[in-house]
Amino acid sequence: MPENPQIQAIVAAVVDGDPDASTEAVQAALAADIDPLSILNEGLMTGADEVGRLFERGEYFLPELMLAGRALRAAMEVVKPVLLEKYKGGDSQVKGKIVSATVQTDIHDIGKNIVSSMLTAAGFEVTDMGVDVPIKSIIDKAEEIGAQAICLSALLTTSMPFMKDLIQLLNARNIRENYVVLVGGASVNAEWAKHIGADGTARNAADAVKLARELVTN
Amino acid sequence: MLNYLEILDRANDGPYLTEENWDLEKVAMTTKRLVKKYKIEWNPNEIVTDDPALSEAIFKAGYELAVTLGAYSRTTGRIIEISRDEIDEGIRTMPQEVIMGEGKDARTLHARRLDDERPPLFFGGSPGTPVPERMFLANVMSYMQEPLIDLATCGTLVEVDGREVRTGNPIEIVSTRRELQYMRQGLKRVGRAGMGMLAAQSSVSELGDLAVAHPDYLRPCDSHLVPVLNELKMDHRNISRAVNSLEYGMINASLPCVIVGGLGGGPAGSAVVNVASYLIANITCLADYHILHPIHVRHIATSTRDVMWVINATGQAFARHAPSVIVADIYPKSGAGTKELLYETAANSIVNAVSGNHLEGCGSADGNAPNCSGLEARLMAEVALATHRMRMSLKDANEFVLKLLPKYERVFTQDGNPGRPFDQVYDTVKIQPLDFWQKMYEEVKTELKVMGLKL
Repeated sequence: MPENPQIQAIVAAVVDGDPDASTEAVQAALAADIDPLSILNEGLMTGADEVGRLFERGEYFLPELMLAGRALRAAMEVVKPVLLEKYKGGDSQVKGKIVSATVQTDIHDIGKNIVSSMLTAAGFEVTDMGVDVPIKSIIDKAEEIGAQAICLSALLTTSMPFMKDLIQLLNARNIRENYVVLVGGASVNAEWAKHIGADGTARNAADAVKLARELVTN
Repeated sequence: MLNYLEILDRANDGPYLTEENWDLEKVAMTTKRLVKKYKIEWNPNEIVTDDPALSEAIFKAGYELAVTLGAYSRTTGRIIEISRDEIDEGIRTMPQEVIMGEGKDARTLHARRLDDERPPLFFGGSPGTPVPERMFLANVMSYMQEPLIDLATCGTLVEVDGREVRTGNPIEIVSTRRELQYMRQGLKRVGRAGMGMLAAQSSVSELGDLAVAHPDYLRPCDSHLVPVLNELKMDHRNISRAVNSLEYGMINASLPCVIVGGLGGGPAGSAVVNVASYLIANITCLADYHILHPIHVRHIATSTRDVMWVINATGQAFARHAPSVIVADIYPKSGAGTKELLYETAANSIVNAVSGNHLEGCGSADGNAPNCSGLEARLMAEVALATHRMRMSLKDANEFVLKLLPKYERVFTQDGNPGRPFDQVYDTVKIQPLDFWQKMYEEVKTELKVMGLKL
């Protein structure tokens, strides 16, 4: 736990999943001239890591993850403009932009929501497109926001082929090398990821975050 | 009774709400409040509870959740409002008996009480598991031929004639009809042509489901799934399945797969959500019976302590307060050819047998691979029947399950325990277990007898 009480308040607000408290704590820290980079890394990210640990230990559940995501988003709204102002290219403090979606024809979202929440908590800017999303829309969104990665989810074996289609469409449009493509879902394994030409898969949300940290660079 | 088309009207006219707010503000927050209000707690060492007050609290909290929230239409982004009177009417009219199958093979599923004299019934098959076409027929026959199996279910054909099946693609019509052709063929070959089925598993979209509503495929005496989405949500694709049954008359099995660790939070909240899901499904799914299939948020399997607690809690809540026909899926972590699969199956069977549920299984290896066979379904039925014959008390059932857990709980901390595919544990021509698999089964059965189960 950080020693600075104002940073501690930020960590606590994220762990509590309280957007009002996280906003106020960040505002207070900025008013006290604490470096916005410390607010981000020692405050918000420490809180996010703690939330991830609590989830993995079975002490936190999906609602707590979603609430922590809200608290982080609210706090980022406050700290991000200051970061941009203070650091040239401050946008690089965001670890990377990711588009996530459950592929078309599949309406299962719990796994995808958990991964999206934990990626957000880990400092990525995640655009979660929801479920049953056509592959063309996913690519269009990634192009529009300048994403570095596309995370695809499918629970159903009969929806998994659309992951393959997305990669083929990226290839056909000659933009495959612009994206890290990660795939996940109950039936997705490393063999499938390799078979369709994805960059990787993970067996749980915590490993997905590790993989994203490893592969996605802004 | 509510005209079902009214449900469509409400999905089209109800109040708008974003899905995130439904999930978080409505489902998660209301459940959390109700768990606190009714003081519901779970104990990892009391998987089978013997506490009527706890059971009543879980039922009341689930009832309040259903009445407070209703359901959500994912298609229209609107709330499907359901009144207290309609929930009550749904409970009153819930079938107490459902006859499945025909002729000498017909079976009557009944709403079980905790002290029911009648034994549970058994659906044999690996529901929803992807199975290659080349082994599909032999696989389903391995369950159908088991004398203790009363009803048939099956996995999912993931390819037909070498073509991969895709959701929403016309090939789902072909795959689901092919599935039913194999099922009907299998039933004839084992001499049980009239056995009832829970089938049409090879189509995720409504296409296949609609395509097999014909006496040559899925008969009116068979059942199909009408899912409730996580949590307390419907969409038009799934409502179509219920609508299609209105005149044809297929038996509707509601399928809410509550995520334990999901929006309901931990086991206590998940049990509350499961109760509410059934009360909603009485109306939105036109449910004739309910499938009980909580899913662990990380481990998937139904054999973890917390998921078994939810199975026990939900089953008991209905058996004590609103008897309904409930069929529990057994989805062990381990796959065929492993002893752990048999221990997991035994633990799940005992929990279900004493909690008022019928049984279905096994979706071995998390239902992720065709690593499943009729042999574990035989054990599922044998263990549940022994539990019933012994009139095992809730307390004794808990103690038995606690003794089984150390025999397999390690599979949740390792990278799975998938075992082997069906064709590596069975002779697929003679449709009999291979020697090593038969021996493993005999050894585990002996262990269970030594532990006190009168098999």
